[in-house]
Amino acid sequence: MPNRREFIQKLVRGSILAGLGLLSGALIFRSREEDGCGFDFACGSCSKAKDCNLPQARANTQMVWQLDPAKCIQCGRCATSCVLTPSAVKCVHVYAMCGYCDLCGGYFKPETKTLNTGAENQLCPTNAIKRRFIEDPFFEYTIDEPLCIGCGKCVKGCGAFGNGSLQLQVRHDRCVNCNECSIARNCPSEAFSRVPANNPSLLNGFGKEEMKGQNIKV
Amino acid sequence: MMKQRIYIIVAIFLLLVVVAYMARDLFFSPKENVTNPYEYELAKLKKSDSSLLAYAEKQQVKTSLEEIHGVAVDASDQIYVCGKEGVELFDMTGNPEKKFSIGGIANCLYIDQKGTIYLGIQDHVEVYNAEGKLRGKWKSCGEDAFITSIAVTDSFAFLADAGKKVVYRYDLSGRQLNRIGEKDPERNVPGFVIPSPYFDLGIGKENELWVVNPGRHTFEKYSYDGRLISSWGEGSMSVEGFCGCCNPSNFALLSDGSFVTSEKGIERVKVYSPQGKFECVVAEPDSFEAGTKGLDLAVDTQDRIIVLDPVKKLIRIFLKKS
Repeated sequence: MPNRREFIQKLVRGSILAGLGLLSGALIFRSREEDGCGFDFACGSCSKAKDCNLPQARANTQMVWQLDPAKCIQCGRCATSCVLTPSAVKCVHVYAMCGYCDLCGGYFKPETKTLNTGAENQLCPTNAIKRRFIEDPFFEYTIDEPLCIGCGKCVKGCGAFGNGSLQLQVRHDRCVNCNECSIARNCPSEAFSRVPANNPSLLNGFGKEEMKGQNIKV
Repeated sequence: MMKQRIYIIVAIFLLLVVVAYMARDLFFSPKENVTNPYEYELAKLKKSDSSLLAYAEKQQVKTSLEEIHGVAVDASDQIYVCGKEGVELFDMTGNPEKKFSIGGIANCLYIDQKGTIYLGIQDHVEVYNAEGKLRGKWKSCGEDAFITSIAVTDSFAFLADAGKKVVYRYDLSGRQLNRIGEKDPERNVPGFVIPSPYFDLGIGKENELWVVNPGRHTFEKYSYDGRLISSWGEGSMSVEGFCGCCNPSNFALLSDGSFVTSEKGIERVKVYSPQGKFECVVAEPDSFEAGTKGLDLAVDTQDRIIVLDPVKKLIRIFLKKS
C-alpha cells in the first residue's frame, strides 16, 4: 500500500509522461501534415489556406499590388513614383473591347491631320503603341511593354474618345512587390490595393476574363 | 534657479514643437500636388469658338423614366421619350401628357404620321397605337441584334442594327424585305463600322435613306435596294469634323435637309448643310456632363432642335438665335 508521498510522486511522473506523449503525438501529426494536406490544392476554397504553411498554399494566398482602372484618373504618377525605372505599371490592351479604329484616340494626338505612324502623330511619349493594318478600315494596336512607362496618356485618350480598351495595370513580371508601394502612397484616387497573386488582374469591361490568367506572379 | 527653470521650459517647448512637426509630417501631410509631366489636356479640345454658336437653349424638361434612351417628335410636335420600362409623352411646351409602360428597355422610337409608335427593344420592334396599347410585336432580328434607330415612311420601316452592323428594310406589317449596307466591294458598299452601340439612320426630305457609318465618320445615302448613292464626312477633333473612334452618335434632319449631329467624346451638337458642309454649333461641350453619351436628337415642325440628355435626364430644346 503506497503512502501519500509515493502516490503524489507517481501521479507527477504519470502526468509528465502523459504530457510528453501528447507533445510527441502532436509534433508527429504536424510533421505528417506538412508533407501533404491530402487535398488537391484547390486552396481558393480551403478555409485553412490563410494559415497553411504548405508552399502551394503560400503561392495561392500571397498578395500583390494592383490598380483598379475604374478608379484610375491617369494622373501620371504611375510613371514617376515607382521605385523601378521604367515603372512596373504598364498599359494593357483588352482587345475584346477595342474597336480597331483608324482614328484611335489612344494612339493619335488630337491635332493629327494624316492618320499614319509618324512619330509626330503619336500620343505616346515613348512610341510604345504599335499600329498594324488589318483590313479596311481596321487597325490593331499592341503595347510594346518594355517601352511603356505607364504614364496613362493613351488610357485617357482611349477612355475619352474610344471604348476604354487601354487600361493601366501593375505587371508582376516587373513589380518587386514592395511592402509599401510608392505609387500606392502617391495615388490621388486610391486606386491601388492588394490582390491575390494567383488572380492579379483588375481589368474593366467585357473581355477582362480572357486576360485573367496573364502576368501571374507565384 | 529661475534661469534653469526657464531653460527647462524653453527646452520642453522646443521638444513639443519638434514632436508636433514630426507627427504632422507622419500623419497629416497632404499628398504632394505634383504637376503631371504627361498631362493630356482634354479640356483644351472641348473649347470652341463662341462665334460659331448659332443656337440658344430655350427650355429644359425633366423626364420621369428611370433611364432615357430615345426621343422623337410627332406630326403635331408632341415630344416622346423612351427608355427603361416606359414611354413618356409631352406637349410641345414641355407639359407631361401621358406615360405608358412597356416590357423592356426601348433604345429608340419613331412616331409616324398617324401617331403609331414604333419602339426598338433590344432585338425587335414593338408597335403601339397613339393610346399606348400594344398592337404588334415583330419577329426578332437575331440573337446578336441591337436595334438603335428606326425610321418609317408611308410604306416601309428601316431599322439600324448595331449588333449585326446592318440596316433592314421592313414593310409595315413587320416582314423583312432586304438588308442594306453590308460590305460589298462589287457594289462599292464599304460596310458599316460600329465600334460602340451608336448607329443612327433617318429619312431625308425626298424620302432618301441616310445612315451614319460611325467608324468611318461618314453619312451614307442609300437607295432602298441597298445601292450606295453618296457619302460625306470626315474624322477630326476640330469642330468641322467628327471626333473619336465612332461619331456622330445621333442625327436628325432639319426641314431644309440640313443635318443636326451629336457626338460623344467631345460632347457637342452641330449643324451641317444638306451637302455636308459644317455650318454652326448648337450646343458646346460645356453644356453637358463630361462623358455623356447617346445625345439623341429630334427636330419639330418649327425646326426647334430637341436634344435628349440621358445623364441629366432632360429634354433640352434649342432655338436658332435671331
